[in-house]
Amino acid sequence: MRRVGFSTGAIAYGDFLGALATLRDKRFPCLELSALRISELRPLLSALPQMDLSLYSYVSIHAPSSFSREDEGWVADLLYEAVPSSWPIVIHPDALHDVNCWARFGARLAIENMDRRKPIGRTADELQHVFDLLPDASLCFDVGHARQCDPSMTEAFLILSQFQQRLVQVHISEVNSASQHDPISHGAQLAFQQIANLIPEWVPIIIESRVMSAQITEESNRAATALASVPVC
Amino acid sequence: MKSLQILEQRTGSNWTELRAARETTKRERAEITTALEDFPTADASLVVVGSLARQEFTPGSDIDWTLLLDGISRPQDEQLAKDIRYVLDEIGKKQPGREGVFGNLVSSHDLIHRIGGESDTNANTTRRILLLLESVAIGRPDAHSRVMNNVLYRYLEEDRGLWFGSNESKVPRFLFNDVARYWRTMAVDFAYKQRTRPEGGFLLRNTKLRMSRKLLFIAGMLLCFDCHTRFNEREERLAFYRGKPVEAVIARLREVLNQPPLELLANALVPYPSHDVSIKKLFTAYDRFIGMLADDGKREHLDKLHVEKIEGDEVAKEARDTSHLFRDAISELFLTKDTELGRLTLEYGVF
Repeated sequence: MRRVGFSTGAIAYGDFLGALATLRDKRFPCLELSALRISELRPLLSALPQMDLSLYSYVSIHAPSSFSREDEGWVADLLYEAVPSSWPIVIHPDALHDVNCWARFGARLAIENMDRRKPIGRTADELQHVFDLLPDASLCFDVGHARQCDPSMTEAFLILSQFQQRLVQVHISEVNSASQHDPISHGAQLAFQQIANLIPEWVPIIIESRVMSAQITEESNRAATALASVPVC
Repeated sequence: MKSLQILEQRTGSNWTELRAARETTKRERAEITTALEDFPTADASLVVVGSLARQEFTPGSDIDWTLLLDGISRPQDEQLAKDIRYVLDEIGKKQPGREGVFGNLVSSHDLIHRIGGESDTNANTTRRILLLLESVAIGRPDAHSRVMNNVLYRYLEEDRGLWFGSNESKVPRFLFNDVARYWRTMAVDFAYKQRTRPEGGFLLRNTKLRMSRKLLFIAGMLLCFDCHTRFNEREERLAFYRGKPVEAVIARLREVLNQPPLELLANALVPYPSHDVSIKKLFTAYDRFIGMLADDGKREHLDKLHVEKIEGDEVAKEARDTSHLFRDAISELFLTKDTELGRLTLEYGVF
């Protein structure tokens, strides 16, 4: 049985408290707190001590997807100090300017593979360059990004084969041609099933599909079906 | 060290023409990469095939390019193709005709979905097989790489015999048959062009058919055989194919296809030092062939010589002798039960 949950950014973009309230009744075991915009980071981290996250057996945090070189130092310091050490911190490799700011995070830092708009971090080879610079970092595998980059799922296979030992969580959604996160389509489900057996069952699955409140349960079922491991004969 | 260099040293050969063509290719690719750097995107790759992709470029070679689209269709795409043609004209490059198989836009849809059947036209088959066996992206390779993987996915995923067949030889027949079909199509088209283009070009086309086209078929055949020969042990092979790992096979084939056809062939022949006499003969013949194409006078002579004047012509004789040397070496290496390559060729290549 996969452990699934949502990203707060998918439920209510820029409103983590609203998203938490919406998700409370659904009782998912996993959660990703999203601060995709740099302006969201301080309010989110300041609110952490007051949040009741006892429902969740797994929590991660998504760092801002973009920040300037000047902001990088305080962003890294704040994340290092304010985020509980057991929570993975998901980060986009193209956001990093100076890896020296991030080396101290070790395995807490989860590098996410990128969509095809980005100049780096899209393929296994490109991720290897990032891991060469941050050798202790973990991997947040975005299966939707991997499918967008290569619908045959060969690149997904290569990423999971080469970096499975780094894998700490999975992002799932349909990633459309504009790189937006949509609900998982039937085509995406079929593609994700191709590589589902390469994702260990314990790995938390974070849904990034932008859905309305009424669609949450249905989308979590789609995610679970898409990553249900097909027995290998 | 590359396999071709290993064989060159091992057989005591000196394949200068091949080295020169590789250097010319490098320069030519660098020049057009710079000239066309604004064209490739995540959804559109500028793809070259032919001698520029095979690393056999000589001064008289065309640049056979395609703007391969794998994304949202936009009305402006047509203009992009015209602009590429304009830029290549401006820097003095020889290009294919406007209405030809290359030198234009190609959508990924037909390459991926139209394999076999009425809608798989001669042009579509040509584009697809050349995309697989001898194509290189100039600049950003995203779309090129995606389409390669998706075309291979079609051939492999739908090949029931590869995954579940009783034959222990793991050669993807769907892919192999399409490669073989394309080789025969080229041979038939040669005869067709002889009829429809009586004005010339016979001997140049004939020599290319006997040399570079045949090499392409061999490269395609070896690509398919790699699915079987890459494993040292039977158990290792059977274990690998258990569970239908389509993506793993695609990844492996992409590695093989990162090599130009001549290097792919050399790589397959490195394990056979007892056949070095034939190996030397094969690559020496190909070196001579590239030398003839690099010689403007000989190339033009081959292109212009009328079919009735071939008998007694010295350049024609040199081309024929070179192609016979190549043919004989191939027969010695591939039509034999002594080697695994020979065994597979006899099993798959004929019937």
